[in-house]
Amino acid sequence: MKAMANNKTEPVIVLSDLRKRFGIGDAEHYAIDGIDLTIRKGEFIAIMGPSGCGKTTLLNILGLLDSKIEGEYELETRPVASLSFRRQARIRSQQIGFIFQSFNLVTRLNVIENVALPLVYKGMTRLNREKQASAILHTFHLGEREYYMPYQLSGGQTQRVAIARALVNNPSIILADEPTGNLDSASSHIIMEELSDLHKRGNTIIMVTHNPRLTTYASRVITMLDGKIDTDTGSPKRKNDTTAKKPLGKVSKKRRKTKTKQEVA
Amino acid sequence: MRFLFINHIQNARQSLRSNRMRSNLTMLGVMIGVASITTILSLSGGASKIVSNQVDALGGNIAVVRPGSASDTAFQNLAQLPTPQLFAASTLTIKDVNAIKKVNYVSGVAPMMILSGAVKAETSTSVNTSIIATTPTLADVSGLKIQNGQFLDPDLSPYIAVIGPQLSVNVFGTEESIGKTLTIKGQAFTVIGVLKRQNTPINYNGVDFDESIIINQDAGQALNQGSLQIQQINVKTDSVNNLAGAIVDINKAILKNHLGEADFTILSGEQIAQPTNRLFAAIAGTTTAVAAISLLVGGIGIMNIMLVSVAERTREIGIRKALGASNRDIVAQFLIESVALSIGGGVGGYIIGYLIAFAISSFLPFFPIFTWEIGGIAIGVSLVIGTLFGLYPAIRAARKDPIDALRQYD
Repeated sequence: MKAMANNKTEPVIVLSDLRKRFGIGDAEHYAIDGIDLTIRKGEFIAIMGPSGCGKTTLLNILGLLDSKIEGEYELETRPVASLSFRRQARIRSQQIGFIFQSFNLVTRLNVIENVALPLVYKGMTRLNREKQASAILHTFHLGEREYYMPYQLSGGQTQRVAIARALVNNPSIILADEPTGNLDSASSHIIMEELSDLHKRGNTIIMVTHNPRLTTYASRVITMLDGKIDTDTGSPKRKNDTTAKKPLGKVSKKRRKTKTKQEVA
Repeated sequence: MRFLFINHIQNARQSLRSNRMRSNLTMLGVMIGVASITTILSLSGGASKIVSNQVDALGGNIAVVRPGSASDTAFQNLAQLPTPQLFAASTLTIKDVNAIKKVNYVSGVAPMMILSGAVKAETSTSVNTSIIATTPTLADVSGLKIQNGQFLDPDLSPYIAVIGPQLSVNVFGTEESIGKTLTIKGQAFTVIGVLKRQNTPINYNGVDFDESIIINQDAGQALNQGSLQIQQINVKTDSVNNLAGAIVDINKAILKNHLGEADFTILSGEQIAQPTNRLFAAIAGTTTAVAAISLLVGGIGIMNIMLVSVAERTREIGIRKALGASNRDIVAQFLIESVALSIGGGVGGYIIGYLIAFAISSFLPFFPIFTWEIGGIAIGVSLVIGTLFGLYPAIRAARKDPIDALRQYD
């Protein structure tokens, strides 16, 4: 991975020997067990792997939600360990967009208020917040659902709202945990096109997925196994090769392995 | 930061609205506490004000000399005040009265001997009342107005009386009682005047003139086995500016008479109202302590509800943190919510407190007062309650781990 140092764009995220431990004593268990990873600005990374391999944990760490880690995590050359909680919250507010596996809308807020929520912590006025939220809802074809409550939406609509919320503050890093997991293919398409569009505009996207089709949108595919990186297509050569034939081939082999494992389990 | 604060307020309003019933009940707890404090303070303030208003209405140039040294505690006053006429032996004498008369700028001196006794007309049953033995100058010094007839006059017979309108009604059945006769301790007195109704049962003289009978000092002395007991000397100076100087001179004069023993008190201005104030301050203090308990209960109610609210919204806290809320933002969000609850209760309690105070004051001779202090106390107390009892739930909310919080109900 150090070989990528000659790439044009500067690294956004640098992990070295990252470990995350759960439990103590006999119950000790490393969900992340020594990951070295460099993610450059503008990469679209798909992380795949079986359940429990540490994908979501990795995403939480990258999103600064989990700071009890061992090893080094540098975000835009600043070691995260040196950042105060307040500073970390600022980074979450201004640079990171979260798309959760389970939609995680605030049930007592309506759609537009949910989407405008990240802007609250940027200190925007209510009018500006709702204008911006409304604009992004329109791009997701949810303009007519602005004043619906979350329980009045279908699953697909809910996830689109959740994605709209993650994108509303124009984050430079987007962390997506199964963004299309609950969507039909048409809706998935809309979402992936949107993510792809963001990618083209220079945003860094890190997406956890189980769907190998979606890796075609990604510029780099990482598979994880037991808290370690199993395969990584990220090389300077392959980076711009979005045909993803080789990655998919390699990944699918891996996937077959993991699938059988899952089936056995 | 400014916008964030507004955002927190909008947010608190919304979350309180979404649980309207719960919010209202929580506010009710604080409301009851603040309402009782407001009622107590406004009524006791009104009671104190009534005396100082009287002094002001008389021009503010009034001083009062009372026997005994100044008492310090409210509780001493509590014991003494209702029956100032019961002093065993007054230290004030007619010599003191004469000495005061000689002091510069003093324009009027009225010694008051207050007896308590039964007054009886020929046909009626006896009525217990205050009997004030004094000199004609009392009318001027204490601003007594005559409705019918005239005030005491040294040129007339010593056994004449001026009576209050209510006493007249009680004894004779009418306010028109001039020329009628009543008896005190077997001595007949002729009514030569009826006072104008004052409606000031609480005043610095310690008697209700509406229900009193005023007789000549000599007649009073005769009724009291020939001994003169002056409970109070009312002094009037020619102007407010000369009052302070006159008081110093009066003090010197009486001290000289009393061989340097300060067994008397000279009160003026606000001080005159003080014994009355102290009485009400003592009552207010006790009742405020009771009200404080209800405020405490209200505060615990807020804390309880906020803890429930934090537990219910754990997931929301996780989402907010993931979307960029700092711990401080979460603390502010919940703290503003609890403060909003208690301030809402405080404002409601302030209004309800005054409604109750006005309802009660219809049975009392005075009105509740409006001062900024009472409003300040109502808001201040609720602010403190909201902050104090909201802080723990808010900190608990902020300390939640975002990942655990997001996992709730998964």
